[in-house]
Amino acid sequence: MRRLGNTAIAAVTVAAFCSGAWLLSGGAGTHAPPQPTAAEARSGHGGARSAPALPPSPPDRIRIPSIRVNAPLTGLGLTRSGSLDVPPAARKNLAGWYEAGTTPGETGTAIVAGHVDNSDGPAVFYDLGALRKGASVEVDRRDGTVAVFTVDAIAVYKATDFPDEKVYGAADRPELRIITCGGGYSRSTGYQGNVVVFAHLTGSRSR
Amino acid sequence: MRRTARLLTGTALAVVAAGFVAAPAYGDDGGGSLEVYPSSVVPGAEVSVNTAACGNEGTAAGDASAVGAGAFTLAPSAHEGEAIGQFRVPESAQQGTYEIVAECAEGGRQVSGDLVVTLSAPRGQVQPRGSVKTGVGGVMGPDPVQTAAGVAALAVAAAGGTWLLHRRARGDGI
Repeated sequence: MRRLGNTAIAAVTVAAFCSGAWLLSGGAGTHAPPQPTAAEARSGHGGARSAPALPPSPPDRIRIPSIRVNAPLTGLGLTRSGSLDVPPAARKNLAGWYEAGTTPGETGTAIVAGHVDNSDGPAVFYDLGALRKGASVEVDRRDGTVAVFTVDAIAVYKATDFPDEKVYGAADRPELRIITCGGGYSRSTGYQGNVVVFAHLTGSRSR
Repeated sequence: MRRTARLLTGTALAVVAAGFVAAPAYGDDGGGSLEVYPSSVVPGAEVSVNTAACGNEGTAAGDASAVGAGAFTLAPSAHEGEAIGQFRVPESAQQGTYEIVAECAEGGRQVSGDLVVTLSAPRGQVQPRGSVKTGVGGVMGPDPVQTAAGVAALAVAAAGGTWLLHRRARGDGI
């Protein structure tokens, strides 16, 4: 009887030791955010037809059903160095839009950005790199309309070689960019670039 | 357990964030004014205005004749029951600040907001530059919950080991 008890305790001890060591050595692994493939980066021409531009109206909320994003939008400005500012990192389901730029739905390039993660774990655009061409992005606007965009391409750009004009440059139809961090990670410098989603307006409806 | 916790914090944050965005982002003090967007435009631009002053489902008569755009209507919208209207600034508009007025259909309450007309494009001229700092690598480092579980498991192992050694020392025979 006692022998059986001892065996059980020894077994539990060994199991606890092994699983403890496994967990501490990073067992289940880290969860790097998904990254787009090279095929997703090539924009598909002749895709969905552009819809007529909407009048300017600031956006309230962004939804990307295929990656379960449904997040309020806050206004963003620029940092002192001229880069786009970001939403407060502590609010992990908050995305932002570049307030001094084009509103989503009007002619031009509207810009939305959000965090891939914060110190607690995944944030609003964690799955952005898993988005596929042809997916829908919906933006609720304050004038009561919903601007519907279709994804043309998803690309990764290095921070050291960022194509400003391609990402932020003016467009002659209503376009949208959605930006988050990605492109490899190093402990010393953090994420090495950005995942950028290119989309254009293909429809609108009232809420 | 962790998933639930994350879900709960996520929901709580979403609620907080939604409140934050809905309330003060374009807010005025208590729905007393007319919001004009964009507040600064070039001649020929389209402008939308909205107000919460006319209550849910309230319509209003807008007046943009100061800037030469004449009368327009504000209709109730899905956006928090605010009345929303649009007008186009004529190409002939001169540089300056103009008062846009709206009067609620019910109660006749008047609200107003300013529209600035400039001759050079005021918006969208400054493009952002470079990459965006949208992550800290929080999903990359060791998971705090996993670390805690590992420490707990090792503590159990230590306790078990100590107990067994005690037994052995006492000659209980393992």
